Amino acid sequence: MAYQVSIFLENKIGHLERVTAVLKAAKINIHTMNLNHTANGWGILNLVVSNPELAHSLLIENGLSAALREIVVIEMIDQPGGLDDLLKGIVNAGVNFTNAYGRSGYGNQNAYFVIDPEDVSQAKQKLLNAGLNIMSDESIYGTN
Amino acid sequence: MYWENELETLKRNNLEKLQVKRLKDTIQSATNSPYYGNLYQQMGLLADSVKSVSDIQKLPFTTKQNLRENFPYGFLGLPKKELIRLHSTSGTTGNPTVIFHNRHDIDSWANLMARSLYCAGVRDTDVFQNICGYGLFTGGLGFQYGIERLGCLSIPAGAGNSPRQIKLMQDYGTTVAHAIPSYLNRLYEVFLEEGLDPRKDTKLHTFVIGAEPHTEEQRQRIEEMFGVKAYNSFGLTEMNGPGVAFECTYQNGLHIWEDAYLVEIINPETLEPVADGEVGELVMTTLDRQAMPLIRYRTRDLTRILPGTCSCGRTHVRLDRITGRSDDMFIVKGCNIFPMQIEGVLMKIPEVGADYLITLDTIDGNDEMIIEVEVKKDWFNGDITRLDKLSRMITGQIRDEVLVKPIVKLVEPNSLPKSEGKAVRVKELRVALKS
Repeated sequence: MAYQVSIFLENKIGHLERVTAVLKAAKINIHTMNLNHTANGWGILNLVVSNPELAHSLLIENGLSAALREIVVIEMIDQPGGLDDLLKGIVNAGVNFTNAYGRSGYGNQNAYFVIDPEDVSQAKQKLLNAGLNIMSDESIYGTN
Repeated sequence: MYWENELETLKRNNLEKLQVKRLKDTIQSATNSPYYGNLYQQMGLLADSVKSVSDIQKLPFTTKQNLRENFPYGFLGLPKKELIRLHSTSGTTGNPTVIFHNRHDIDSWANLMARSLYCAGVRDTDVFQNICGYGLFTGGLGFQYGIERLGCLSIPAGAGNSPRQIKLMQDYGTTVAHAIPSYLNRLYEVFLEEGLDPRKDTKLHTFVIGAEPHTEEQRQRIEEMFGVKAYNSFGLTEMNGPGVAFECTYQNGLHIWEDAYLVEIINPETLEPVADGEVGELVMTTLDRQAMPLIRYRTRDLTRILPGTCSCGRTHVRLDRITGRSDDMFIVKGCNIFPMQIEGVLMKIPEVGADYLITLDTIDGNDEMIIEVEVKKDWFNGDITRLDKLSRMITGQIRDEVLVKPIVKLVEPNSLPKSEGKAVRVKELRVALKS
């Protein structure tokens, strides 16, 4: 199962760097991320990292509000129209989501699209039925 | 010149004679209430033992706590069938403070209110717009009755909805208005947005401002913005509401109506009277209230009695501006708020921690209450919608409790002062109060 690490952050100078400093010290790599902001001075940082469990526990130890949140990672072709083709598939599958972000492909790795749907297992089933490729944990996090 | 020539200019020795007589009557009717009845019986105290104004120092103080503990009828000196109205503060974490009035009390209050307005130069030819919440809050009906007693055309506009306030002012040629000072900044902005200049496009000549601490500079700014004279008003629910003390046209302190209220200034630590002219806590006794007399009520407001006499010829002493509180109550948008009320709401919300910080700040000319709360670490699951809902739920619950909509800010764990010991819970950054 794929997880993002979600962190509650106040919108203040240095707060994002507090997170990256913890990850750097533990040699955890960030694959992709997105940062949401609300009008009320706080937001949520979402990270796909090389070791989500470790990142989560280290961030908690460092006093942050962090959560592991299951996501669906869908393979995407890194070419013009790649996201549109993928979204058409999601539309056909009838899956809604509240948050999404992506990653470009590089080397021999394909691009992917991360979604945060309300019911992860139901969404996965619908997406598979619609013919989309759900990425395996190995292909997201690597084998090491 | 005066609403009641004789009473307002009564020589001091005659004023004190009147006070002693009324104090005796007040003690007599207070003795009919369960609270004072028991208390004075235990002390063996009789109304006749009061021979001079200073004899009041023999009597015990009354506190807000006493009122709450004897809610709702413990201070009632008359049978319930005599009552015709109640006013009450917003529900606090304890009981609300409720004051009952009989016909005489409402009549006497309306007269004091009319006297106050007359003293600030308002006349029966004026059109008076009361920009103030009606209902349990005393500023609505309190002013309303005074405006009518004085004989002005009253516009019971209520609070808020600035475009409508401006329309009323233009349709009916409002000459006098009552509002809290922080609202007038907002109203002025709306005038500008509508391409209007209140100095040219209205007939306003007088504002009555109060219920909220403000500086002399703020008053002058209001006077310049609107091209009016602005007079400071002081009152509190426990002493009826507005009409307790008012500025005259000389604008040098608020005449407190001593035929209706006995005034003391005490040191809040030692509870002894302060020297003449020194700042201390205002203690008040009602002298003309029948349903619910209060004796030596500790208002918690810090002020002083200004020395000397006023050029207007009134003999009733003048209070300085309120400079602060001897407890932790603060006032936002005319509402009295205790940090305990906010704490009480937060304690009932399991998703947030016990620590909080209230910051009072002036944002775009308006007083705002910002409340920072920590979200519990183990409740956080990364869902932004859930956090947003929580934030709105807290905002709504606090607004329901204190009647002021706060700006709620969720903050990271351990970023607020800890609840142990004497943590600072209220940070004051407002222009009028920043010291």
